[in-house]
Amino acid sequence: MAEWMVLWLPAAISVAGAVSGFAIRSRPTALKIWVLLVSLASLSALAALAGHPMRPALQWPLAALLPIAAFLSLLGQPPHEDNRAAWIMTLLLLGVGLGAMVGHGGMGLTLLALLLILLVALLYRYRALSVSHLWQGIGMYGVGVICLATALATVPPVSAVAVLAVCAMLLPLAPLHAGYVAALAGLPGNLPAFLSLLLPVLGFHGLLAVLPHLPDTVRDVLPVLGLAGASYGALKALAQSRVRALLAYANLSFFSILWWHVAVVQAASPQTTLYLSAVGLATNGLLLAWYAIRARYGDMDLRAIRGLAHVMPRFAVLFMLLALAAMGLPPFGVFAGFMGLLLAPALPLSGGLFVVVVAWLAASWYLLDLLQRLLFGRHRTDLRYEDLHRTEFAALLALVLILLVMGVAPTRVFESGGHALPAHVATGDILWNR
Amino acid sequence: MSYLIVVPLLPLLAALFVWVTGPRLRDRGARLGVLPVVAAFAGAVVTLVLVSSQGPISVRLYEPGAAANLALPIGFYFDRLSAVMMTLIALVGTIIYLYSTGYMYQDRGYHRYLGLIAFTTFVLLCMVSSANLMMLFVFWQILSWLLFLLAHNHTHTATLEGAYKTFTLLRVGDAAFLAGIVLAHTLYGTIEFQELFVRAAATPVVLSPLPGLEISGATAVTLLIFVGAMSKSAQFPIHIWLPSSLYAPTPVHALLHAGIINAGGFLLNRLAPLYGLSSTTLHVVFVVGMLTAVLGASMMLVQNDIKKTLGFSTIGQMGYMIMECGLGAFALAVFHLIAHGLFKATVFLNCGNVIHQVRQEPASPHARHAVEEHELPRLTWATGFLTTLLLPLVILLVTHGVLRIPLLESQGTVIFLFFIWITSSQAILTLTRLRAVASWKVSVAMLLTLLFVVFTYLFAAEAFTHFLYPDPREVAFYFQAAALPGRLFDGLVIGTTLLTVLGWVYLYAQAHGRTMPIPAWVQALRVRLYMLLMNRLYIDGLHARLGQWIMRAAHSLDKRSSGRLW
Repeated sequence: MAEWMVLWLPAAISVAGAVSGFAIRSRPTALKIWVLLVSLASLSALAALAGHPMRPALQWPLAALLPIAAFLSLLGQPPHEDNRAAWIMTLLLLGVGLGAMVGHGGMGLTLLALLLILLVALLYRYRALSVSHLWQGIGMYGVGVICLATALATVPPVSAVAVLAVCAMLLPLAPLHAGYVAALAGLPGNLPAFLSLLLPVLGFHGLLAVLPHLPDTVRDVLPVLGLAGASYGALKALAQSRVRALLAYANLSFFSILWWHVAVVQAASPQTTLYLSAVGLATNGLLLAWYAIRARYGDMDLRAIRGLAHVMPRFAVLFMLLALAAMGLPPFGVFAGFMGLLLAPALPLSGGLFVVVVAWLAASWYLLDLLQRLLFGRHRTDLRYEDLHRTEFAALLALVLILLVMGVAPTRVFESGGHALPAHVATGDILWNR
Repeated sequence: MSYLIVVPLLPLLAALFVWVTGPRLRDRGARLGVLPVVAAFAGAVVTLVLVSSQGPISVRLYEPGAAANLALPIGFYFDRLSAVMMTLIALVGTIIYLYSTGYMYQDRGYHRYLGLIAFTTFVLLCMVSSANLMMLFVFWQILSWLLFLLAHNHTHTATLEGAYKTFTLLRVGDAAFLAGIVLAHTLYGTIEFQELFVRAAATPVVLSPLPGLEISGATAVTLLIFVGAMSKSAQFPIHIWLPSSLYAPTPVHALLHAGIINAGGFLLNRLAPLYGLSSTTLHVVFVVGMLTAVLGASMMLVQNDIKKTLGFSTIGQMGYMIMECGLGAFALAVFHLIAHGLFKATVFLNCGNVIHQVRQEPASPHARHAVEEHELPRLTWATGFLTTLLLPLVILLVTHGVLRIPLLESQGTVIFLFFIWITSSQAILTLTRLRAVASWKVSVAMLLTLLFVVFTYLFAAEAFTHFLYPDPREVAFYFQAAALPGRLFDGLVIGTTLLTVLGWVYLYAQAHGRTMPIPAWVQALRVRLYMLLMNRLYIDGLHARLGQWIMRAAHSLDKRSSGRLW
């Protein structure tokens, strides 16, 4: 098979799966099985690329996480007709996203523009479920399409700056984060959970491509924006009473730390990839868990529901573990990635470190508050409680396990050719002796 | 020797066993779960014997150079310090597990609770046997979370607030600890204990965080890590989480006060070679410890609840322990934390029974104390006064004249002697207040107490110091690094001496119904101080205000930005 065909196969499978999904959209159960199979097929196609020479260009570990996230976000969905559009769109966005990662130059940018157009259409379609940032989000992604058109028509550094602006919309960076917040807070079904990983991955992929072409002035501004975004996101998250908005701003804070790091170090390491993936997956899990509540009781305010630990113990345990992962506690991947960022040899000592540590600390406050409000206290007696179904449980458990593996063996997950290290035993006289 | 790594893992096995089999095997499963915990204790004793005879044992499952690339570089380092701590933790863990099987028997979350106790023991054992700073930090943070869970009651609002406060304050310490690790790695390029100490000693670094302000690298690292230790060991002003967590089940408190809260003292001891490089940090440690000891003990005196009294007593004792570290007496701090841990665990495990008994029998505590003499007899007073005042004189003469120890040049020795004196005075004062009767028995009891304290300090504590730090030069190095300016040190010694003597005089005067001529402003100050201490120095209020201020700022930002594009 030709090289280009191998590279494009995962994206093509997803798009083709989405298109053929329309044919069976009247049967939700069959459609759900279909979309799950397609995402697995897409993952298999990517797995076949593991040893391919083009693997580094594709950012393989990140690309491989996308069908996994799609599969897990679809797995826990109840087969209901309201979810059909979201499932098909998940495959379509997966295909377009993978295509944007594979495509070089104009093709990549065109597919990215297509993705933004799809997001605009989705936000407009579901505007009835209005959230405060909906119109800002639509406007932001519209500007993103114009930026991509400008990038196609110009040369560096103008094109690089234009692409960078789009990257800041996907991998959220203040003040261009409104689209990301709107997508996570306003879209239906499993889409917010899937997009919480897809958009940052695409933004990061684009960032790495344009970073060498950026003017010095822009490079100097990026760390400042990163630090401002980390603080701003944390403060905004503290003030939210709706779960999806809280998680969106939490991600703005965490991803701003990533922007700061990449801008200061001017490079990306396996730890950067680990951090990005872990934050995305933890949010993916929390949004899926919240979807389980939304599916039962609607999109409630945090003040309207409490005490779930008592009546939904399985949900409570998994939600707690995902929240721990998201707030950067060990032994999960977010902590591993965060430590990887801070211990990078190329990272100089600066006041920025203080801001970053405070943003990390703030996550413990707002996520613990979310956890306590939702799980603890006296549960409402006017609601009928039903714990997680098997598929919901399996999806969340898988995410927790992935995050755990990322936390314990990060280098082996994100670097090829890792080998088991022998146990090293020493006794007796050593340098520091008691 | 790599089989030793099984020892810290055994309680994890117990936790998993209880969690998995709990619903099916019920009480039998819970009781079987104690076996791995007991085995861990036996293993800790074996480890202690092994490292005492053969020296430290290091087991690493990673290449030392690659530690920073791994989030969890798993490695164990068993030396005398870690083995002693492991033995203490495993012993307390075993006792508390066994006690809990009866105490929590009818509780709905019986298995979850027992599993958590075993899991906490596992985390503590791994923490004290960590081979590097990163692994220690990982388990340190997990401990923060476990404290949140253990001090938790899902449906009790005050407990929820207390648990939230506990976790958020512990995370402040975690954040500072993290900053310390990052700084240490940036300055010295390693997070391995041994290498870190060698490099920090070999390459002094000066940092300039602000124009005109210079600080040594070792000072910056140790100060940041000390904030971490402050949070876990409930040091002023981050101590407020401890009283807030007192709603937890009594055995949890036994474990908290005997094991978890000692983490700060352990951390300072583990990093003693690094702390020995910074006199500034040791002085800060001393001041914080002293403040905590004084304030903790003072606040304890005005509490009217048995658990809160014990809680503030622990805060005071932890201050005492941290102060010992600040004076360079690291081994003494470990000795103190072991003694305090065993004592406080016993008291907490008993306090539930006492409360229960009082509720069952309204006449308890028995009124017979009321018929005892209120006057402090001359014989009792004289014995106490003479022993506590004569003792230091005798010791001074012996050390100066017979042993020829240059006291004025050795703050360490003075500190040691001073602690003997203060402890014996405290014990005798307590004894006097408990039994205000004129009897030769009381005087004999005082003398025996005195002998016991002196023996403990002079032999047991000294032997323990030699056990933990076999090289006397190392001990001397820490004392030298912690040495306070001469005048300040003399002032502190004289001030404390005067306070102790005044305590005796006041006690005597009060017992004989005599009034001391106290100026009005002192009386007013006393009332104000009482109010201040009663309200815990209003620190809880300040903490709440700070939280409200941050939330107001967040809501204000949210409101202002809601209509804008960003």
